[in-house]
Amino acid sequence: MADSPSRGVPESPPFMQRMFDNVFLLLVLGIVIMLVVYTGWGMWEILTMPVGTLP
Amino acid sequence: MSTVATFPHRICPATGRVIATSAESLIKVNAVVAVVALLIGAIAALLLVLTRWQAVHLLPAEWYYRILGVHGMNMLIFFIIYFEMAVLWFASTVLLNARPANPKLGWFSFGLMMAGTLMVEWAQWTGRADVLFTSYPPLKAHPALYLGVILFAVGALTVTGLFFATLVIAKREQRYEGSVPLVVYGAVTAAIIAVITLLHGAMIYIPTFLWSIGLIKSIDPQIYRMIWWALGHSSQQINVAAMVAVWYMLSGLTIGGVVLNEKVSRSAFVLYVLFISMASAHHLLVDPGFGPAWKIVNTSYFMYLAVLASMIHGFTVPAGMELGMRLRGFTDGLFGWLRRAPWGDPGFSSLVFSVVVFGFVGGITGVTIGTEQINIIAHNTMRVPGHFHATVVSGTAMAFMGATYYLLPLIFRRKVAFWGLAKMQPYLFSIGMLLLSMGMTFAGSFGVPRRHWDISFAQSPFEVTFNPAVDIVLAVMGIGGILAVTGALAFIAIAVKSVFFGEAITTWPLGKEIAGIPQGLTMPPVHAANVDELNEQLHDEKRGIAGATPGTLVLVGIFLLAFVVYYFTNWKLLSFLWKVG
Repeated sequence: MADSPSRGVPESPPFMQRMFDNVFLLLVLGIVIMLVVYTGWGMWEILTMPVGTLP
Repeated sequence: MSTVATFPHRICPATGRVIATSAESLIKVNAVVAVVALLIGAIAALLLVLTRWQAVHLLPAEWYYRILGVHGMNMLIFFIIYFEMAVLWFASTVLLNARPANPKLGWFSFGLMMAGTLMVEWAQWTGRADVLFTSYPPLKAHPALYLGVILFAVGALTVTGLFFATLVIAKREQRYEGSVPLVVYGAVTAAIIAVITLLHGAMIYIPTFLWSIGLIKSIDPQIYRMIWWALGHSSQQINVAAMVAVWYMLSGLTIGGVVLNEKVSRSAFVLYVLFISMASAHHLLVDPGFGPAWKIVNTSYFMYLAVLASMIHGFTVPAGMELGMRLRGFTDGLFGWLRRAPWGDPGFSSLVFSVVVFGFVGGITGVTIGTEQINIIAHNTMRVPGHFHATVVSGTAMAFMGATYYLLPLIFRRKVAFWGLAKMQPYLFSIGMLLLSMGMTFAGSFGVPRRHWDISFAQSPFEVTFNPAVDIVLAVMGIGGILAVTGALAFIAIAVKSVFFGEAITTWPLGKEIAGIPQGLTMPPVHAANVDELNEQLHDEKRGIAGATPGTLVLVGIFLLAFVVYYFTNWKLLSFLWKVG
């Protein structure tokens, strides 16, 4: 059965396009990924480093 | 897209775009200060290269390290970020026919940035901040250095916020429909990375400032290094995004380059947003405080997604240029489109040199020395500055210079002065930078350290000798540096003469070449009359894997081959270091 195109109703952009157009979502994702993978994990690595003792 | 405006503006006679008066002033002032910073950085570069060239060895030790700090700040922070502020204002207003959000706050932010700049310059030039660009604790500078950087960063962060606000206003006032243009999307990417970068800058410079005035007892050097590099390296990733945006813009303006696939190019920008900032970990690959998992995840698994993004742009930009030229009727052979391109247009030649040197030298060396295992033979050698001079200078600065040749007539409404010199400038600058980067890279491969005043170790208690070939590659570096500085000074002379004493453009003659106006503006590239037929032929399935852009495919093949050879050569060199069996 052929679909009949709906006339007069503006088509919503595809999901990925809407996501890519959402500047503030990208901003939050960019900050969170960096803070978790680089900064947070890195801080954890440094702060949990055992204290070296002199022989 | 609406070209009717209710705010004070003018209409660009070449492009028909609405240029808000308040935005135009902000673009101009940021671009002018960027050029002043470039001048200071270029003079410092000349002094440095004549010191690292061991046969000349110009500066005494104290001044070498002082000028090295000045060079780093002016080139990597001030020149680049002022220019990026101009790009953000340009992209959010001119390219969207929109008005800027709160120009008064824009001027206040510019004032903050200027105050910060002056404080840093004062501290560095008077010898109160001989701590190099990185200012690693326990080295301590005058508080003015840290406060200056904080003020500068707050100003830049505010401009970035105004950029986002301008996008919201433009959308609300229906200055554009659907998605923002690709060039603006590149600027959005740069702005997001700028926020990530500047947040980390605040996280580390505020406590360091408090330490410098005695309110905090100590700063952990390892924590400092980690967070500082999220500023130091990520600030260069802002450049990458802004540079790629400029590539797309120059490609369209100079030769009618097309965007091959919006989805692919935008996906590549999103990969930058998500994964490029963590490249900062490259600087910590030999630090003892981090385990291999953190290092490898940050510099390999995730980071390679950003490398993938660069390789996508490295294909789509030249392929878009090739397709654009073919659709204009330049269809002969593999490289007819390249032979018949406007090589005398400084905007075009800058674009090509920026893409080629960034990719072939900067990209390949960066990915290679950013590999954890290989990094041990490259860390803190001159291979590192060899890499980033190919990316930040040959790539970003060259692209920004190319954009300037178009902005001078479009925004400043002046002809480009010294037109003959302007045509040659990109060749001079890029050849010089290529020699400099290669000289540094090869010197580093022989173990020559970076940031080192005297590699003869004349007064040291131990003897260090390098392979005699080092003298030759350092001479190549020196000659390249002199050529590059000459090219940079030529650019500054052209920009200053054009802006302050240049011939005003009163009428905009179309259809003929005019000295002082790049050809893309007086003779905008148009498609051939039979463009549909050409398009159909180019996308015919019979063309097979070569597709519509066979020339670019060959160039990309050469690039990948060079990449493989360089990468595996380095693994071979590594095997010499730790011989097994």
